[in-house]
Amino acid sequence: MAAPMELSCWGGGWGLPSVHPESLTVMAYAKFSGAPLTVNAINNCWRAPKGEVPILISEDTVISQPAKILNFLRKQKYNADYELSAKQGADTLAYIALLEEKLLPALLHTFWVEAENYCSVTKPWFASRIPFPLSLYLPGKMSREALNRILLTRGGPPLYSLTEVEAQIYRDAKECLNLLSKRLGTSQFFFGNRPSTLDAFVFGFLAPLYKVCFPRVQLQEHLKQLPNLCRFCDDILSCYFRLAVSGHSPAGQDTVDANLQKLTQLVNKESNLIEKMDDNLRKSPQHPPRKLTTLKLAAGGEESSPLNRLSP
Amino acid sequence: MALAAEAFMTQLAAAEPWPENAALYQQLKDEQILLSDNASSLAVQAFLQMCNLPVRVVCRANAEYMSPSGKVPFIHVGNQVVSELGPIVQFVKAKGHSLSDGLDEVQKAEMKAYMELVNNMLLTAELYLQWCDDVTVEEVLEDVDQCCQALSQRLGTQPYFFNKQCKGLTFQYRRLVPKIRPTELDALVFGHLFTILTTQLTSDELSEKVKNYSNLIAFCRRIEQQYFEGHDKDSSSSATSRSAKRSLLR
Repeated sequence: MAAPMELSCWGGGWGLPSVHPESLTVMAYAKFSGAPLTVNAINNCWRAPKGEVPILISEDTVISQPAKILNFLRKQKYNADYELSAKQGADTLAYIALLEEKLLPALLHTFWVEAENYCSVTKPWFASRIPFPLSLYLPGKMSREALNRILLTRGGPPLYSLTEVEAQIYRDAKECLNLLSKRLGTSQFFFGNRPSTLDAFVFGFLAPLYKVCFPRVQLQEHLKQLPNLCRFCDDILSCYFRLAVSGHSPAGQDTVDANLQKLTQLVNKESNLIEKMDDNLRKSPQHPPRKLTTLKLAAGGEESSPLNRLSP
Repeated sequence: MALAAEAFMTQLAAAEPWPENAALYQQLKDEQILLSDNASSLAVQAFLQMCNLPVRVVCRANAEYMSPSGKVPFIHVGNQVVSELGPIVQFVKAKGHSLSDGLDEVQKAEMKAYMELVNNMLLTAELYLQWCDDVTVEEVLEDVDQCCQALSQRLGTQPYFFNKQCKGLTFQYRRLVPKIRPTELDALVFGHLFTILTTQLTSDELSEKVKNYSNLIAFCRRIEQQYFEGHDKDSSSSATSRSAKRSLLR
């Protein structure tokens, strides 16, 4: 068994275990592959080693970026893609590229650049989880980074103004959502009945868009018109994160988890005891004390069985 | 372009058939054009060849400035100018030619995803190699390898990425078989891989990565033979007119 692994990431809200897409992707993958992760929601940024979230810490190794974290988990034998064919693996790579190119810019914009959303939802949420005085600086920095990323990747000519870029990225995002919906169709997950890396990425990107309540919600409304994608998110939340669709608070989820763990341990102890009792019952009349058996066998095997029956 | 302007463009495009004197503009081949631009240009040329739309390639030093978006290549068709593969595919579709019509919705989604993968990884690698040249080259090569592996697995032993059958038959292996046509994904992949394989760079690492995948090389060869060989007679047109240096048929 691998060393205990700790994931440092942004916490949850609105029924999600995390509101940060990359953190959510890693958490979902861990659940799918059965990797035992201790999740630490960030509430004090000074402790984060590099400031790039999410971060996986295992013994002395520190890994950031979802793709690298997932690679690490796979090397530790926590592999959710075990049953995929080579072609499906290739498809995974292609669809992740699609998500990052077409959906991510609009997602970043909805959270960090759209003024109303940022001021009324994103900034207060993140600021409340960062200690003073970083809380005054960090959300603004994250917002500027998001804007830079959008402009660098999508803002080239002939789109010179931010409004034109915005129109283009939202159009691309809606097209991407449509493509994902068509690809998912009526299946439970993207590749059959078991979730894989692609499901983790899609869930990580879609769930925050789906659940977080923003004042400006054009992309969310588009997403809600694609029922199979909504069903996909809800299924994963209810099966793997044991959250009702309406959602518990993260603290509630932790106590539920802790209780469940205690209960499981008790049940296991009980069943161990029962097994032992069973064993004893089975062993007592039929198995004589060992010394006798060996003596009997040494003497001459055939006499052993009637003598066995006589002894208690 | 704003949505309204695009719709208007599409209407204009649909009005006229493809003219005989369509031209594709790119930078000068030997001294000026960059790896990434060459790949993009080749992709567009391959696409137009696959659609059977004649175009002559014109090399101009100020191609980037003539282009409406600043990016090359761009095509001049009738009285319209369109640049970059995406808009060109749309434009050609408005004129009634499409390579991906026969695909169902899921296949179209897959095709778009793979095109993004190529743009994301191969184009980035080409840009990187042109402009930067330091330690993180390993990461770039790793990405290129992953991308090629994905493409190779997706292609398998088929002739093209999506093998939908079209109207008409063709003669192959002494038999008449249904015709299979390539799509814009094939054009894009060809453009990038062919450029990587045939351009002389400071280091061969990038082309070595691609050469590990024999089905991708066979794919490039096949498209070169099918769509570019016959046009070597034209003076300045074909990208493979410098066949002495660049042909894959070594």
